[in-house]
Amino acid sequence: MKYSPVHRGFLSFALVLLGVSSAGAAPRTTHLWWMPDVASRSGQTIDGLFYFIFYLTAVVFVLTQVVYVYFLIKYRARKGVSATYSHGNNRLEVIWTVIPTAIFLGLWGYSNHVWWDVIHSEPPADALEIAITGYQFAFGIQYPGADGRLGRTDVKLIANDNLFGNDKSDPAAKDNFTSAVLELPVDRPVRIRLNAKDVIHAFYVPEFRIYQDAVPGRTIDWVWFVPTKIGSYQLACNQLCGSGHYNMKAQIQVVSQEEFDKWNKEKSTAALVSHDPDRAYALNP
Amino acid sequence: MSSPAIALPFGNVSFPRPNIVRFGMLTFLASEAMLFAGLICGYIVLRSGAGTGWQMPEALKNPGTITQTLVATALLLGSSFTLHFGEVRLLRGERHGRALLLLTVVLGSLFLANQANEWTHLHQEGFWFNSAGIMGSCFFVLTGFHGLHVAIGVILLTVSLIQAVFGLVTPEHHAFMDCSSLYWHFVDIVWVFLFTILYIL
Amino acid sequence: MAQTLAHAAPEVHAETAHHHHQELSFFRKYIWSEDHKTIGLQYLFTSMFFLLVGGLLAMGIRYQLAFPGTPVPILGKLLPKWLVTDAGAIQPGGYNALFTMHATVMVFLVVMPFLIGVFGNFLIPLKIGAADMAFPFFNALSFWLFFVSGFIILSSFFSPTGFPASGWTSYAPLSAHGAYNGTQYGQSAWCVGLFVNGLASIAGAMNYITTIINMRAPGMKMFRLPLAVWGLLVTAFLLLLAVPVLSAAAAMLFCDLNFGTTFFSSTNFGQPLLWQHLFWFFGHPEVYIMVLPAMGLVSEILPVFCRKPIFGYKAMVFAMVAIGVLGFIVWGHHMFVSGMNLMLSATFSFSTMVIAVPSAIKTFNWLGTVWRGSVRFTTPMCFALAFVSMFVIGGLSGIFMASTPVDIFIHHTYFVVAHIHYVLFGGSIFAIFAALYFWYPKMFGRMMNEFWGKVHFCLAFIFFNLTFFPMHNLGLNGMMRRIADPTQYDHLRSQQPVNVFITLSAFGLGLSTIPFLVNFFYSMFRGPKAPRNPWEATTLEWTLPSPPGHGNFETTPTVYHGPYEYSVPGMDQDFLPQNQPAPETARISSH
Ligand code: HEA
Ligand code: HEA
Ligand code: CUA
Ligand SMILES: [Cu+2]
Repeated sequence: MKYSPVHRGFLSFALVLLGVSSAGAAPRTTHLWWMPDVASRSGQTIDGLFYFIFYLTAVVFVLTQVVYVYFLIKYRARKGVSATYSHGNNRLEVIWTVIPTAIFLGLWGYSNHVWWDVIHSEPPADALEIAITGYQFAFGIQYPGADGRLGRTDVKLIANDNLFGNDKSDPAAKDNFTSAVLELPVDRPVRIRLNAKDVIHAFYVPEFRIYQDAVPGRTIDWVWFVPTKIGSYQLACNQLCGSGHYNMKAQIQVVSQEEFDKWNKEKSTAALVSHDPDRAYALNP
Repeated sequence: MSSPAIALPFGNVSFPRPNIVRFGMLTFLASEAMLFAGLICGYIVLRSGAGTGWQMPEALKNPGTITQTLVATALLLGSSFTLHFGEVRLLRGERHGRALLLLTVVLGSLFLANQANEWTHLHQEGFWFNSAGIMGSCFFVLTGFHGLHVAIGVILLTVSLIQAVFGLVTPEHHAFMDCSSLYWHFVDIVWVFLFTILYIL
Repeated sequence: MAQTLAHAAPEVHAETAHHHHQELSFFRKYIWSEDHKTIGLQYLFTSMFFLLVGGLLAMGIRYQLAFPGTPVPILGKLLPKWLVTDAGAIQPGGYNALFTMHATVMVFLVVMPFLIGVFGNFLIPLKIGAADMAFPFFNALSFWLFFVSGFIILSSFFSPTGFPASGWTSYAPLSAHGAYNGTQYGQSAWCVGLFVNGLASIAGAMNYITTIINMRAPGMKMFRLPLAVWGLLVTAFLLLLAVPVLSAAAAMLFCDLNFGTTFFSSTNFGQPLLWQHLFWFFGHPEVYIMVLPAMGLVSEILPVFCRKPIFGYKAMVFAMVAIGVLGFIVWGHHMFVSGMNLMLSATFSFSTMVIAVPSAIKTFNWLGTVWRGSVRFTTPMCFALAFVSMFVIGGLSGIFMASTPVDIFIHHTYFVVAHIHYVLFGGSIFAIFAALYFWYPKMFGRMMNEFWGKVHFCLAFIFFNLTFFPMHNLGLNGMMRRIADPTQYDHLRSQQPVNVFITLSAFGLGLSTIPFLVNFFYSMFRGPKAPRNPWEATTLEWTLPSPPGHGNFETTPTVYHGPYEYSVPGMDQDFLPQNQPAPETARISSH
């Protein structure tokens, strides 16, 4: 950059004031003032709820502020006009206790429905299960291979040479392979077997509207989603995990089913042929 | 002391009631209770989480230790009574008040001595903060915290004793002794819980 | 100590003090003073110093986020190596230390001592008509414990590994092992510091509760207490019951760090989530600890400048009590996606929704207070009015996060950071500014400059919103908290202009405090002398000279009615002090 920081500062200051997105935009669809386009099925439901709350709070905000400012102008101190002596009004108190209560309970009902029936409903049987383990400072990603089964895993087995805690005696684990990129077939349910090796990390993908902490010492298996848009995204660690936290991430590729099957086949056969435990259970190739 | 406020026909008068110091002490003890509540909840969560991983180390299981601690517990509980009657007698101006107070201090110190002895002996047996699974962590931090409280209690009671010896404890002026004893009883009760969860269950 | 307790009776204390007034040594008068007003001022100057510290740390945060990797001008070269590279640019680990200490300082050494230490100490005895706190000794002790804790926390600046760097929430196991967080000393100092700080809070809370409940002037019924006192009373209970849990957790964390215990580690049957539960059991009441006194202070200022009784006094009181009680059962809303049992998340979401109701009640009653009032836009009033709006914004953003599914999306993003600052800066800090301008005359016997006050308000208000509102958008765009360099991520690179914009606004916000500082210290010596009751307010402190003498009241005042009797019909004067019987002509109606 040939501009000084401050220089750049003022330039983009101007840019933002104009509401213009800066140059060199990222491959991902991002808007300067609004959330990225949703790219998962449950994400769409979350957005629905989000917009509901957004409009609700927007109305509340505008109403309260308009009334407030109107009062401030109308009842500003003026000669000869003195304030009305009033200690309050019980009917009003009841009204503005009951109405918000009703709204909040309704909102909770709505949220709870989405929480249980959409986000944490039983993942479909045909879901593709992927093991992901966070460690200072990267993600390990393991695929089940051709047989589509990860096999038994146990947090207690997690170690440097066994990042996912695989029970290596389980035949299902034989053709498992690791990958640096999180390759996902579009429109196919994906289920994550989430672990952490050392400290707490997190599985965060804004486009999928997904966040889940990965806690060392326990496996979290309730995260599942359905990618709906082919494209490249980023998996970010969004739980402070040390000095390397700020760029602990992994690339995500959502591809067509065919493309995925092809990739999956190559990888798993390769894993079977040269069965190198490192490539299968520990490090990224 | 007389304050003009007395004369006025109002519910709450401005000059502090004699129990104001007690009141303060009780609020403080509420806070102390939360401190131990926090620790004990931690213990409960950890223990239930550990499942089979929760192992009582031999050093604690052996009857020698148990009986010793039982005796120490008895002493501590006994000290609550000696303290109570000591207080009553002192305020009534009856005999043996100071003696009972002194006895309380002695009993408390004995409890501490036993705890110190127990810690060293457990340490030799290889049971320490970082051993015996999560049990070590819980045992030493909980008993450590309690021991600290007992020590403070002993100091407070010693000061009260000195006051009593110099005749500073009178039916009008006994706030300090009041608080010390409240504190002492509290520390006793806490120990009953700790003893149960750490040695028996 | 025995002495103090024996003499805890404040009248006695006051009388003795009156007699030995001149004899008070410098040490007893300024260092170990047991006069609640002096202690209040000690708190005032200390926490103002810490505000500058916390603010400068924030400036560091903002600089790094806007210009990652570029050497810090001027300071860069002077900063220690754990914080900056040789070139003088802030390094990732150092950045973590910056926001960790920024929050720790702002929460424990600025907002709490300001609201509770300064206004609690200065106002409670004056407002309830007492000569001093119940336990002056513990009051002084409390201040010095707080003072020491501050420097214990900051001490790690000089250690080779530097400040703690696992966030003000210090999630284990990161915080529990020097090997993970890289600053064993810093993290340990953090634990010790917060433990000592907790002792100070508890000593204060005990004092406030005892004082408010036992030492009210004749006629000062509980429902005649000014709302500021109510706010502080509820807060004191929260402190009393929530802080010790943090102390316990901090002690356990300290043992994990230094004695090899494994409470919070993933190995050896420890439980990382246990830390989060203990921390947030304290942490959520903590956030209400930081807003309830603010609500009280604002409820005190609005009626004065609306010349109108507070709307729904009792509703206000019940709302505060409700917030206090419910505050203990919502902590899980910080842990919706922490791996905690999904059922618990749903439950905590429910209690969180419920706790928003009392806040709603308060908001509407503030609007009701302005309604048909006669509003005077003085500096304290402007800040008080701004508090209400900013709190509403902060509160409404809270609703998004209270909804579990939406929180999945915005958890740990800048949306949360925006929320934090709307409630804590737009809320607590604005209330603190309002209260400072309002009670300054009573504290220092001089008036602050109105014009420069307004300048401060306008700058602060504008730059505050320019700084923190765009953070909502950043959050929705998926910008995570606690990352040292957003440009590492594709989807954030395009957001960088917003970050730069925020940073420049933040500098403006920082500089906006300079007119305040100047006005504050200049007026202390040159400001016009303040009368007893410059704002024509009704509560007891305004019946005293400015500043009130040692021992406050010559004779214990008698209270005849509620705290907000403004514009009572049938009176020529538009305010009726609490210690004046209503004239026959006055048609006074009780709430
Ligand atoms: C003064 C401090 C303060 C206050 C008052 C609040 C108030 C609230 N907070 Fe906030 N909160 C914090 C300080 C505060 N918070 C901090 C510091 C954090 C971050 C901690 C960290 O991780 O570092 C946090 C984080 C936080 C989270 C966790 C977010 C996450 O990490 O993912 C949540 C989730 O539920 C939450 C919710 C709420 C709610 C529902 C309220 C409610 O009390 C708000 C109620 C008020 C209103 C709702 C507005 C007024 C009402 C009306 C105008 C009536 C009508 C309204 C409707 C009908 C909608 N807060
Ligand atoms: C009461 C609490 C409080 C207050 C007042 C503030 C005030 C400010 N905070 Fe605060 N902040 C928190 C509480 C608070 N913050 C908390 C709890 C967190 C979470 C931390 C965590 O994640 O662990 C946080 C995190 C946080 C972040 C997110 C860091 C991250 O997650 O990566 C940011 C980023 O912009 C930020 C910025 C600011 C700014 C610009 C101010 C400004 O308002 C400060 C303005 C004040 C001053 C500047 C001081 C006075 C003036 C001077 C010193 C003289 C002039 C100085 C200059 C102009 C250089 N804060
Ligand atoms: Cu891993 Cu942050
Ligand atoms: Cu909270």
